[in-house]
Amino acid sequence: MAVSGTALEIREIYDPYVRGWKEKGGGVVGYSCLATPVELIEAAGLLPYRIKALGNPRTDMADGEMSLFNCSFCRSCLQLALDGTYDFLDGLIETNGCDHLRAMFENWQHNKNLPFFHYLKVPHFFRDDSLEYFRGELELLRQHLASHFSAQADDDSLRRSMQDWNLVREKWRELCELRELPEPRVTGSEALALELAGSRMTGKDFAALLSSFIEERRSAPGRRPGARLMLCGPATDEVAWMEEMENLGAVVVADTLCFGSRAFLHRPGTAGDPLDELAEGYLDSIFCPRMYKEYDRRRTYMLETAERARVDGAIYLYNKFCDLHGTDSVLVRRDLEKAGIPVLVLEKEYSAAADLGRIKTRVQAFLERIGGGR
Amino acid sequence: MEKGYVMRPGENGFERAVGILEMVYKFGANVSDEAVEGAANFVFPELRNTVLGLLELPANRDLEIFFFQRLLELLWEAQRAQSEGKKLIFIPFTFPPELFWAFDSLFPLCTEIVSGLIVNICYGQGERFWDYAMSLGLPDSMCSGNTIGIASILAGPGLKPDAIVYNTPGSCNPNAKIHAFAADYLGVPQFILEKPVDESPRGREQYYKYLLRFVRELEEWTGEELKEERLREVMQRAYRAVDLYNEYWELKKARPCPVPNIFSMTLLVLRSQMWGREECVEVLRRMVDISKERLRKGEFTAPEEVARIYVSYIYWLFDFYNYFTWMEKKGISILGDILAIHYFPPIDFSSKESMLRAYADIAFDYPMTRQMGAESISLRWVDDVAWAVQDLGADACVFGGVHACKHTLGTISFFRRELMKRLGIPTLVLIGDVFDKRQTPMEIFQREVETFVEQVVSRKKAGRRRRTG
Repeated sequence: MAVSGTALEIREIYDPYVRGWKEKGGGVVGYSCLATPVELIEAAGLLPYRIKALGNPRTDMADGEMSLFNCSFCRSCLQLALDGTYDFLDGLIETNGCDHLRAMFENWQHNKNLPFFHYLKVPHFFRDDSLEYFRGELELLRQHLASHFSAQADDDSLRRSMQDWNLVREKWRELCELRELPEPRVTGSEALALELAGSRMTGKDFAALLSSFIEERRSAPGRRPGARLMLCGPATDEVAWMEEMENLGAVVVADTLCFGSRAFLHRPGTAGDPLDELAEGYLDSIFCPRMYKEYDRRRTYMLETAERARVDGAIYLYNKFCDLHGTDSVLVRRDLEKAGIPVLVLEKEYSAAADLGRIKTRVQAFLERIGGGR
Repeated sequence: MEKGYVMRPGENGFERAVGILEMVYKFGANVSDEAVEGAANFVFPELRNTVLGLLELPANRDLEIFFFQRLLELLWEAQRAQSEGKKLIFIPFTFPPELFWAFDSLFPLCTEIVSGLIVNICYGQGERFWDYAMSLGLPDSMCSGNTIGIASILAGPGLKPDAIVYNTPGSCNPNAKIHAFAADYLGVPQFILEKPVDESPRGREQYYKYLLRFVRELEEWTGEELKEERLREVMQRAYRAVDLYNEYWELKKARPCPVPNIFSMTLLVLRSQMWGREECVEVLRRMVDISKERLRKGEFTAPEEVARIYVSYIYWLFDFYNYFTWMEKKGISILGDILAIHYFPPIDFSSKESMLRAYADIAFDYPMTRQMGAESISLRWVDDVAWAVQDLGADACVFGGVHACKHTLGTISFFRRELMKRLGIPTLVLIGDVFDKRQTPMEIFQREVETFVEQVVSRKKAGRRRRTG
């Protein structure tokens, strides 16, 4: 229970783990998009911190900068930047993930003027020419990190960091196997909590956390779910929200979430030039609707995941105003349902307590439709 | 009555709009006020506002009739294209069309022009198509500018594109996604030109590489090589239009502004759909001539020019009469919007490569792509608008925000502060929609603009006059 407790304790942005890192003189660099290779940050001796809001419902300061037509998750994160919660960051890496995210980063930088601010430009498709460009982008990021933080970030340190993070990915796959058992040993909300914990850790520590957690759960009793669900969608870090859904009788046995399994799909090799490997490993497996001409791959990935996890249904979740996921949801619903997997598309506001009742009613109805739930 | 106006068997929204637009041939030369009034009273309310918006003011009457006749002929060509062995492609308004005119086997049709035609010509505007898109499950935060046009194609029978071509990944999510969606949904090929959000020489070079590959893909798909001579012909025509555009821009500087407000819309359609064609040059030449003549005669629609407004984003285009004409009658000159700011590099016509280099620069710096696909949306946007505001002598900006445009809505606060800090220029911020009146009706727009002009712009000008004696 001790490991589970640790994992589920991550309730604040500047938590004891990060605080401890800072107290030892370590630098912390924030990033948001999964296209950002954390290995590069860590190779420069820095702690990669994935920007999150942990369910923060307040957006009043951010609303002064962004509009109410912008994603409430991005506004929630910006709020935490503006109110000083994120002042512990020593730098920030922007990516062109989506329009909301770009606006969030711009406002963040206009208001906070962080000493290290780097824009990592990520192509929107995977091809030889875009790969070459992305590789160059990674080199620029490495140079900037090294020069600003007087760090080495050489190939050897990069390889070590890559090995650590590849171990994390291996462990995550083991975790997924436990989720996919007929009686899952890990719930969706626990997996989400683990990802949130790990996305502010070094690769080594995250792998260790996952190992301990997996060991603990291997021998624990499973839970027979009323329904086996797959949760698809963008970045959501609302553990409490997912717990509420699972309390309705279902278990989220698989996901394709941005704060979730999608974060572990990169598989950079370690045999060749590390930047080459990193560039290909990342750009080839972003699996986000920001990538174009890749819908077929996303569909295949979702169908394979659903089949492997033997799901009874899928929920496609996205925050209001997310055009990327909102548009993809139409095709996903069409294609999953064609494959016999019922789909519920849920559009919601981030961390809006007022929204919870409505959402629960819809999920309950969906569970009834697929023959699960309480 | 309603049934006949709504849709005819076998037609989609685009075809219905083209059918109704044929009425433009009913007008001959020297159309009288009475004829305009009669036509306006003959049609349904939505079309009435289009007829009046285009034709009520005598200064722009002949030009708009001429322009819409040319546009209609082009749309007929689009309808015939496939039967004549051409491939019909949909392109967004952010894609300079001249490249496609250089392919004999392609016919580009701008998605947003299709939407605009439906909205301003068809009964019920584009609402039924927007609602159809929503019924598919698409989010209501999408852009009506392209969703209406695409939904009309998905919903109805009739004309369908052979491919979807777009260049908005990275600069506009709703635009890129709806085009990708349409391709996936219709099962047709999609061709993408991505602009890296990278304004360094490296980013520009990468864009050029992407362009070459994009052209190669089109060549392979059509089986037609992009010919140097054909490209030269089109680009030379495009640059004749550039010269006229530059004259047009200079005319906007005069006080009062001699350019009729509705020409802003005309320019937008020319640039998005017709650039590189002879008709575009002809229409632009007439626009310039009319404006010059008005300048010479000192003509202005209102008793005085009350305000010179720069629309810092895009026009709302669902009611020409109550937008362009209304402002003109109130003495408010519209100097332009973000889509009117073009950067045309010097061009060397000597080789295919040199022309494609120039085209790459045009497309890289094309309105919206340049600002919303910049390394910093807010800084590039404010830089460009500030330049236009100063160059044309605007008194104020109106931001007619569009609910789909998350990039600008996400940075408008900074934009407004920064413009005020740099130039002392106030910005009125409104949020509505480009093609859907249900978001914010024009009555509210008018009330807000009127109050803004009275309370902010006029007072500011009066204060300046007092200070300068």
